[in-house]
Amino acid sequence: MKELILTLQKEIIVPVEMDKVLPEVIENMSLEEIKNIELVQGRKRIKVADIFDVELNDIEGEPRIVIKNSSPKLKYIGSKMTKGEIVVEGDAGMYVGAEMKGGKIVVNGNAESWAGQNMKGGELLIKGNAGDYVGSAYRGDWRGMSGGTIIVEGNAGNEIGEFMSKGLIHIKGNVGIMAGIHQNGGIIIIDGDVDVRVGGEMKAGAIVVYGKVEEILPSFKFEGIVENPVIKLSKKDAGTPIAGTFYKFSGDYVYNKPKGQLYISVDSNPDLI
Amino acid sequence: MEYIIKNGIVYDPLNGINGEKMDICVKDGKIVESVSDNAKVIDASGCVVMPGGIDSHSHVAGAKVNVGRIFRPEDSKREIYAKKGLRTGTGFSVPSTYKTGYQYSEMGYTTVIEAAMPPLIARHTHEEFMETPQIDKAAMPLFGNNWMVLEYLKEGDIKACAAFVAWLLKAVKGFAIKIVNPGGTEAWGWGKNVHSLDDPVPYFDITPREIVRGLAEVNELLGLPHSIHVHPNNLGHPGNWETTLETMKCVEGVEAKPRVGERETSYYNTHCQFHSYGGTSWKDFESKAIEIAEYVNKSKHVVIDVGQVTLDETTTMTADGPMEYDLHMTNGLKWANCDVELETGSGVVPFIYSPKGPVYAVQWAIGLELFLNTNTDKVLLTTDHPNAGPFTRYPRVIAWLMSKKYRDEWLYNKVHKWAQQRSHVADADKEYDLYEIAKITRANQAKVLGLSETKGHLGVGAEADIAIYAIDPEEKDGKKIEKAFRYAKYVLKGGEVVVKDGNVVKEVFGDTIYVDVQVGEDLMNEVLKDVGEKFRRYYSVNLENYPVSDEYANSWRVIKIDATDIN
Repeated sequence: MKELILTLQKEIIVPVEMDKVLPEVIENMSLEEIKNIELVQGRKRIKVADIFDVELNDIEGEPRIVIKNSSPKLKYIGSKMTKGEIVVEGDAGMYVGAEMKGGKIVVNGNAESWAGQNMKGGELLIKGNAGDYVGSAYRGDWRGMSGGTIIVEGNAGNEIGEFMSKGLIHIKGNVGIMAGIHQNGGIIIIDGDVDVRVGGEMKAGAIVVYGKVEEILPSFKFEGIVENPVIKLSKKDAGTPIAGTFYKFSGDYVYNKPKGQLYISVDSNPDLI
Repeated sequence: MEYIIKNGIVYDPLNGINGEKMDICVKDGKIVESVSDNAKVIDASGCVVMPGGIDSHSHVAGAKVNVGRIFRPEDSKREIYAKKGLRTGTGFSVPSTYKTGYQYSEMGYTTVIEAAMPPLIARHTHEEFMETPQIDKAAMPLFGNNWMVLEYLKEGDIKACAAFVAWLLKAVKGFAIKIVNPGGTEAWGWGKNVHSLDDPVPYFDITPREIVRGLAEVNELLGLPHSIHVHPNNLGHPGNWETTLETMKCVEGVEAKPRVGERETSYYNTHCQFHSYGGTSWKDFESKAIEIAEYVNKSKHVVIDVGQVTLDETTTMTADGPMEYDLHMTNGLKWANCDVELETGSGVVPFIYSPKGPVYAVQWAIGLELFLNTNTDKVLLTTDHPNAGPFTRYPRVIAWLMSKKYRDEWLYNKVHKWAQQRSHVADADKEYDLYEIAKITRANQAKVLGLSETKGHLGVGAEADIAIYAIDPEEKDGKKIEKAFRYAKYVLKGGEVVVKDGNVVKEVFGDTIYVDVQVGEDLMNEVLKDVGEKFRRYYSVNLENYPVSDEYANSWRVIKIDATDIN
């Protein structure tokens, strides 16, 4: 199989859309063809070789792409990808892994907003911080992330997992306001602190917070304190065990019969109730 | 510029031409008897030639359409229109203005009527018209919930009401009397609705029956080109077919007396599919299309457009505020609602007509049943764009009508079995021929809108709005029919080639049509006193700032009517 190494020649000012350079696309292409892939930059079209040094190697296993010297101006990295691997050395721009269906993306740096937007499957690993709307829906849409896993080792911004219906988002740092807003399924795990309105208007799914929460919305119902619970999202669900002692809430009761679950660490929030 | 369209097979129902091979001559924007030898030749051999398409009911411009665009970015993303030399556009169910114009043009349509214009927000509609290329357009202001209308009709003062209608049509540059959920939208301002023809409107204490009948009489007194254009009460509710029939019956005896045009009907029931529901709930929901079609066939005064459900994800939008609230409560999707002061209201909700949904399957079947059982002189093709589906699906509807095979492919393989069980669409063997297609997409429209003098036909003197489709008249392959009608081979607008091989090759801006009726001066002065009083006391704008001024069109086309005998 093939390994494509793209090295950004110099810092770019106008963002470039990278959704045409995917592992499944390059696996059957020659070096020349890859160099000539058209990319959108602002209102112009450029070729891959115009901004990248291009290197193509033969390797074992699945096709992979390495983007070296990456910049937050590179948008839509791995958007709609279905297989293989993309490794980003540096920062990734907006929409990294948007609508991805399979394969794996590793960002060894920070990611801008909308990482994993409308993600359907696969794995997105961000080693630095992520912006707002991690694993959210496209603007206006009520159908968000429907599968796959997003892991952010740093912090994330506001409205993560908006309209999420399936899959897992794990943020190892802190997150902003309205985490899991309109959540309709799936699990969000936050190791750090969360700002206000966590789980607002959620209908189903679960949010686990190990850090400190600013508040719990009044429309959530306290269900008791649980130890080492197993999160079940449906009757058939085998369950996801989580370790620790938690306040359990159900909600959001702005809807009729909501099935959303909140697990808030007792240790980090001794005075919550 | 002269053109001669050679060897096409011509379908022109208003002139009784049914599939004759003949040449059509065009000079200076009109159809003429003959042209000189210098005329450019358009070879239409193997193609079908029809007058330009006319859409009599489509939501393409104005406040609520724009609300739909603004609150559905996900619909914008779904379809992007970017062709060289043309303005870009977005939106599948609520396309932006340029995309709207281009796509109508690609399908061979040349005239489109915006179905609902709140008078107070008429400027917005006209502003969007100015940015909608390729087509002639007109807008129908809403009258069915207007306080002035309700008060005049309550008093039984038909003449004063007529003068008010004439004033308003001219002030907002409107084309016809649109009635939406008569009385119901006003009741919605009170958190209520009206549920039958004799359910009184809060405060005004007038019934939908009095509103519809009254405005029908007003319409014929003024002699407007189009009849009243009615969206009756109870849209989309199981069992509403009785309300629909009653509403049709309540204007029996009101004779069509247009002062311009050749209209013979006095009642236009729009998106009849949404009004032909039997049963008492969604559980025992069934089609009553046959019953409606039977009544329409025997009634001289009625014509219907269908509002065919196309089984797409779309955006519903109507001045029927309470109905949109019901819809939002049913599907739980986002909802926009608006109250327009003394005049009307509106609502917008996205909607997914899934083929696998039992109710949607029956809705789809009801639309087809109306087409297949109604006299083809009395039925018009619409999808109530974008309510039952986007206008870009007209070719698919045409394919369902022309090919039973294609229809059955959907009926038995793609849609829920309720379509077979709860309607009679499976029994219908009828297949439309191209002559009938030409009727339901152009000729009938031209006639009922009162525009048939120059539109909707190919006789000498008509406007040279012409569509040429690459299709064999005997074609039964659904996909081929769809493609042929989606991308016309040639389209001429005002005597110029604007589409070639499905691509817009020339951008033109059509006229905006409105009606200017002159009634007796004394009567108008009396009515203007009432209007002035209403503006002083209730409106948020001054009367002087209300009328749409002359700069709000690329070019106006005025239909002048002398009705000074009304005084």
